[in-house]
This record gives sequence, structure tokens and C-alpha cells, in this order.
Amino acid sequence: MAALLEVFEAMVRFGGLIAVNDVSLRVGAGEICALIGPNGAGKTTLFNAIAGYVPLNAGRILLHGTPIQDFAPHRIAAGGVRRTFQNGGLFGHLTALENVLVGLHTQVESGFFGVVLGSRRSGVAEATASARGRKLLDLMDLGHIADQPAHSLSGGQQRMVEIVRALATDPPLLLLDEPAVGLAPPMRQILGGVIRRLAEERGIGILLIEHAIELVMSISDRVIVLNYGRKVADGSPDEVRADRNVLEAYLGHA
Amino acid sequence: MSGGTAKLPQGDAPAASWRGRRAFWLVPLLLLPVPALLNQYQQYVVNMMLMYVPVAVGFNLVVGNLGLLAFSNVAFFGIGAYTTGVLMLQAGLPWWMTIIPAGLMGAIAGCATSVPALRGVRSFYLAIMTLAFGELMRWVYIRWEPVTGGSMGMAVPAPDFLGWPLITEGRKFYVFLALALLVVIATDRLLRTRFGRAFLAIRSNEVAAAAMGIPTDRYIVLCFGWSGFAVGIGGAMYAALVGHLTPVSFDLTELLVEFAMIMVGGLGSLVGSVIGAVVITAAPQVFLDFPGFQELVFGVLIILVLLFLPNGLASLLARLHPGFRDRYHRE
Amino acid sequence: MLAQLVVSGVAAGMLYALVALSMTVVYRATTVVNFGHGDMVAAGAYAVLVFAVGLGMPFAAALALATAVLFLFGVLLQRVLLQPIIAGPHLSLAMMVLAVGFTLRGAERLEWGNEVINLARPYPRGVFMLGSVVVTMDDVVITGCVLALLLVLFVVFHVTPIGRIIQAVFQTERGAALVGINVRAFHAVMWGAGAALGAIGGVLLALIVPLTPDMGQWVLLQGFAAMTIGGFGSLYGALVGGVLLGMMQNVLGFYVGTVFIDITAYLVIILVLLIRPNGLFGRQSTVRV
Repeated sequence: MAALLEVFEAMVRFGGLIAVNDVSLRVGAGEICALIGPNGAGKTTLFNAIAGYVPLNAGRILLHGTPIQDFAPHRIAAGGVRRTFQNGGLFGHLTALENVLVGLHTQVESGFFGVVLGSRRSGVAEATASARGRKLLDLMDLGHIADQPAHSLSGGQQRMVEIVRALATDPPLLLLDEPAVGLAPPMRQILGGVIRRLAEERGIGILLIEHAIELVMSISDRVIVLNYGRKVADGSPDEVRADRNVLEAYLGHA
Repeated sequence: MSGGTAKLPQGDAPAASWRGRRAFWLVPLLLLPVPALLNQYQQYVVNMMLMYVPVAVGFNLVVGNLGLLAFSNVAFFGIGAYTTGVLMLQAGLPWWMTIIPAGLMGAIAGCATSVPALRGVRSFYLAIMTLAFGELMRWVYIRWEPVTGGSMGMAVPAPDFLGWPLITEGRKFYVFLALALLVVIATDRLLRTRFGRAFLAIRSNEVAAAAMGIPTDRYIVLCFGWSGFAVGIGGAMYAALVGHLTPVSFDLTELLVEFAMIMVGGLGSLVGSVIGAVVITAAPQVFLDFPGFQELVFGVLIILVLLFLPNGLASLLARLHPGFRDRYHRE
Repeated sequence: MLAQLVVSGVAAGMLYALVALSMTVVYRATTVVNFGHGDMVAAGAYAVLVFAVGLGMPFAAALALATAVLFLFGVLLQRVLLQPIIAGPHLSLAMMVLAVGFTLRGAERLEWGNEVINLARPYPRGVFMLGSVVVTMDDVVITGCVLALLLVLFVVFHVTPIGRIIQAVFQTERGAALVGINVRAFHAVMWGAGAALGAIGGVLLALIVPLTPDMGQWVLLQGFAAMTIGGFGSLYGALVGGVLLGMMQNVLGFYVGTVFIDITAYLVIILVLLIRPNGLFGRQSTVRV
């Protein structure tokens, strides 16, 4: 499996606190990799570093072999790394469709002057994008809510719209930040199925942070455990489940 | 999956919005005979409404759509007006040739004002800073006497359009109508496309916007620049309308008037900007011209709007006429 | 000469400090920046005009009454106009107070037109010499009043039970609510206090500057500049910032150019917010956006 994302010896320090300490990992195309660990273990910080919001103090992050650790977030996103957020990353005032269209932003070929002067090309580009957005929502059975403001949707629907938005440009790498939080178990099952299909059918590499251990264990190809900023385990769900260090990380510290 | 076809989609533009679009063109057509119906003074007031349209549109773009508390609008307005005045007086240019430069100077000022926003200055810090910038510009108008005429101000020569002297308010009306229309149409185009969505996305959640590949810095500058451009054009219109520029016209009172326009009209709504410009310009005409009375009424009006109609008149319109719903009006 | 500039600057600075302090009190208590504060300061001055000159009351009584009236005004403002929209966007609150200030200005202009009024000083004019430095009676009165006020506030804040409540809410509003402090009433009272302090500032200002309905605009910017130097949200910062501003205006005005008397405030705001937004003592507080 080609390495899609590679993190080498990443370190993130905030003043005296080392949030991420010498962490290395790989995610391949079509692979589902889960990042777990107790609160404060550095998972979100690592995520934010990969997405470009937090600078690395040491180490490298490579996407398709290209170092991206110094890139701005929008550049990383344009380069194929998309993400969802833990609480409400949706644009509340915008409709579901508009949210997806923002996801498509980098691929909508309407330039500033073209738009202002009303060129045919811009009009076509926008209409094409609109149609594509609707189709994407239809595929997830969300077509009927396309024109509703995002803040009026149910929690489950919002989660799904956020995923559609993240997938709009067909990104090779998807970062999911606690996608199951706040969802009831049946919804979690559905979510798990969606994530698995994304990886298997579309070859998207997925790195997710999750606290719902059963979900993680059931869908992940690999599980990485962080504790106090360090990686303490990296292997298949079964291997990790049996790893003593992991048990200690979760149970040995109050 | 990627790259769609070039076929126009079927269900994208609901029939109602097309109706709204065609109705839009009815408005300027209906307005054409207006100068024949009004006297000079009434026409002057209508011209002032048209002048304020690009000003309100520009202001609303930054405060309503982008969501940044930038109080620098009056600075752009003044810069546009004074650019026109200076170019006409010092460089001998005819008025119509100063319109674009006034807009450009406004755009430059806009981009400059966006710098603190780029560095993360937000909310009331940005408000205070842009307020200080506006006052600084006013100080410049007062002090830079050789160029701006100082506190006494500068008299702007008679305006003309491509040689056609705008000696009556009626003639100015047509030129102003065209300018206002152009600004509204261009801004509408921006708002309906990925630019408008990007602005709203940045307003809603800047971090997430960046995560969608939107270079937020560039878009913030763009928004401010376009806003400055529109307002600068409004400034050029002001110079032609009023004929005399004084620094006192560009102070906090003016800021409040412009704020009233976008708040009464509806933050984030293009239609609201137009409504606000019209209503607020008309309002003082209804009341007696005692010094202070206008301010009092304005103040009370804004208070009432804030308490009872926080989304402005555009929201009322949207409620009354669902097919006419301006898609960029946000609750 | 430098000493002279500094000393006269301190007196003006004390005034700015008071204005900045009154704005900071409101900001700390309710996280709202009062864009209408300049006009409330002006309103205080006009209130004294009404009571002392219009109704012929002795100055001290007029001052006390004006302060009380403005206090009430602040409380009502918060209760009637701000509380209903408190959950909305910050912009609405800023606009509301701006509109209120505007309304005050309109009322003042309606009553007094655009004429410039000079308030008679209730104390004899005089001049003292501190070595080679000239100190006017105005400087003494203003500085003395502000210092006395600060002492009172300090005592209230640190010693009295009310002060402890204030401290508690300043630290954590939620926690204060949980222990039974009536936060809503607190907000109203603090707005009243801010307006009252502003009124006192207005009266002191009126002693040295002629009254016009537009004086509030200038006062507002000076207050912002002082808060910016000292750091938003810091009470000590407001004091230090105000005094520094006063001194800077005088010193720069003399040594660099008289332009600086006008524009120091604006430049300070722009430069400080760009380079060091926290000012001297500012804290990274969560800003309501």
C-alpha cells in the first residue's frame, strides 16, 4: 500500500508542555487508522499539526512524499487533506448545499473578474458546481434537506453533511475528529459503515480520533495509541487490545 | 466523480427566484420617468438615496457578510470623495473620469484597513482601530490644507458625464442610477458565487473555512478591497451631488447613519442594503429640520430596530414574500 | 521644560484615566465595549450644567445629583435596552450603545444647539509653583478629585463586601451565579457605576474644556487610547494608560509637533493594536464575537 501520509518524529511544544513527543505514523490509501488515547494525550494536537493549524517544533509530515509541515491550512486542504471537526464545523447560516459547495470551493472554476463581469464561463462553472453538490447530497440520501440551513438539521444529519462536505473534492486523505461523538449507537453503526465504504470503495485514507472504542475496533485497520504525547502502541485492533502498555495508559492513570 | 458535465442543471434555480430576478429589472425600468415627476429638491433626495446604495452595499459586505466589525466605512467614503475633488481641482479631470480612481483609492484604503484583520485583530479591537483610522483620515482632511482645503473644505467643480453637463438633479439621477445598478449587480454576482459563500464561511467559522481550502487572508483582503471600491464610488457620487466637501461630513455621525442603513435594511442582505439606503435617507426628510432632532430620531430608530427587528427590514420582506427571498439574508 | 510637560500631562492624563476606568469597569463586568461612553461623559457635563446653572444649585449638589442621574441612566440602559438583546451578536450591543450615545447627543443639540458653553469654575483660579514647574488650580482639582475617587474605589473594591462580590463576578461570572450572586442585577449596577464614573469625568472635563454636543466623540477615542495602552480589561492599565497618554500628548506635542496633541490617541490605537494588542497589562480574555 502506497504511503499517503507519513509523520516522522513529530514534536509539538507549547511553552514548557510537550503535547506531542516523537510521534511517527503512516496512513496508506484505503486504510482506516484510528488515533486513541486518554484525554490530553495529544491526539487533537497531532491532528491540528497535520492539518496545518499548529506548527511542528521538530519532525516532518509528508503527504504523497511532499513535506507539508510548514504549509498553511488552506494549502494543505487544497492539497487533498480534508477534515471534519469535533463540535459543529458546519457553517450554520449556510444551507446544506452551500456547505457542500464551500467544500467544493477549490474546484469551482469561477474567477473574480469572470464573476463580476458576468462571464458565461463563470456561470457555467457555478451551475456545474451546484449540480455536483446536489448529487453528492443525493448519494447520501440527504438531497431532501439540501436547501435547509445547516443549523436547523438534526445532529446525525449535520454529521453526514459535514462528511459530504469533506468528501466533495474527492480528497485522498480524510481526517475525522470524533465523528461519533453525541450519536446514538444505531447512528454510530451507520457511520461506521459509511467510513468503511469510503475506504474500501473509494480508496480514501482515513485517520480518525475517536473515544468510542467499540466503533474504533470494529472498523479500523490499524489503531495508534497515544499517551502523554507519546505513541505507546501501533498495530491491528487485536494487537492493541492485548497490549499491556495500552491497558496501563487507560487504567493505570486516574 | 470529479469535473462535472457542462450541462446546466434542472432544479437548481427554483422558479420563484427567477421571477425575483426578472422583477429586479422591472425596478430600474419603472424608475426611468421619475425625474419628470419630482421637483429639484425631491430629486436631490432621491439622488442621495442612490448615492448611499453603493456605500451601504460596501459596508454591509464587510460587516454583514464577512462578519468583521470594521468601522472604517466613512474613511473609504471620504477618501473616494476627496479623490474626486482633488483630481478635479488639481488635475483638471472631468467628474466622470474620477469615478474609477475614487473607487480604486477606496479599494486601496480597504486593503490597507484589512491588514489588522489579517493579523488576527477582531471584534471590538478591530472596531476601535478602524474608528481611529477614520478619525485619523478626518484629521488629514483638516490639516492637509493645500490639497483638501482644510476645515473650510473644498468646492467641487460642476460634474459632467462624458461631456454631458449634469446641471440638473434629473440628469444626475440617470448617471447615479446606472452607477448604483452596476455596483449592486456586480456585488450580487459576487455574493451568489463561491466568493460570497467564502465570505459567509469565514464569518461563520474561519478555521473550518481554511480547512475547505479557502485562503482566508486573500478573501478578507478581497472583501475589504471590493467594499472600499464600492464605497469610494459612492464618495465620487457624493462629490457630484453635494458639490462641497468638508471634513465634518465624514465623522462618527456619518458612521452611525451608514450603520443605521445596514442594520435597518438587514445585515448580510444585499436587498437590505438598498432598502436601508432608501429608508434612512428618506427618514430625516419626514422630520423637521431642527438641529439635533434628526440625531435623536436616528438614535431611537436604531434602538427600536435592534430591539424588535434585529434582522432588518429585509427579513420582513423575506417573510412576506417567500419567493422573493434574498438568499443572502441570514438569520 | 520636560518636567512642566509631564506634570501638566499628568493632570490631563488623570482625566483620561477616569474615562478609561469607567469604560473598563463596564467592560470587565459585562464584556461589552461601550461605544456610547463618550456621549455619557458629555451627558454628565450637561447634567451639571442643568443643575448648577439652570436650576441654580450649589456645585457640589449639582455634581452629586448629576452622578446619581447618570447612575440611574446606566442601570436603566442595561435593563431596558441591553438585557433583551444580550444573547445576540456583539455587534448589536455595540450598535445599541452607540445609538444611545447618539440619541443623547441629539437631545443635547436640540436643547442647546451647537453653541459652545463654558462652565464656570466653582473654585478660584490660581497657580502654584513646584520649583520651576507651573501647576494650575485646575490641575490640582482634577488630579485631587480623581485620586480621591480612586481611593474610594480601591477601598470599596478591596475592603467592602460589595467589593468582594465585584471581584468574584470579575473572576468568574458563572461561579458567582452558582453561589447565589444575582448576576443580572450586578450587570445593571455596574453599568450604572460606569455611567456615574463617566459623569464625574464629564464634570471634571467641563472645567477645562468648553461644552459642545460633539465633545463625546473626542472623549471616546481618548478613552480607547488609554485602554489600549494599558491593556483592555485591566483597571490598573486604564489608569496607567490614561496618565501615559496625557504625558505623551504633551511631550510629543512640544518636541515633535503640535499635530501630536490631536492624533496621538489615534496613532496609539492603531500601532499598539497592531504590534502589541494586549497593551501593558492586558489579559487574553475571551471576546464575545
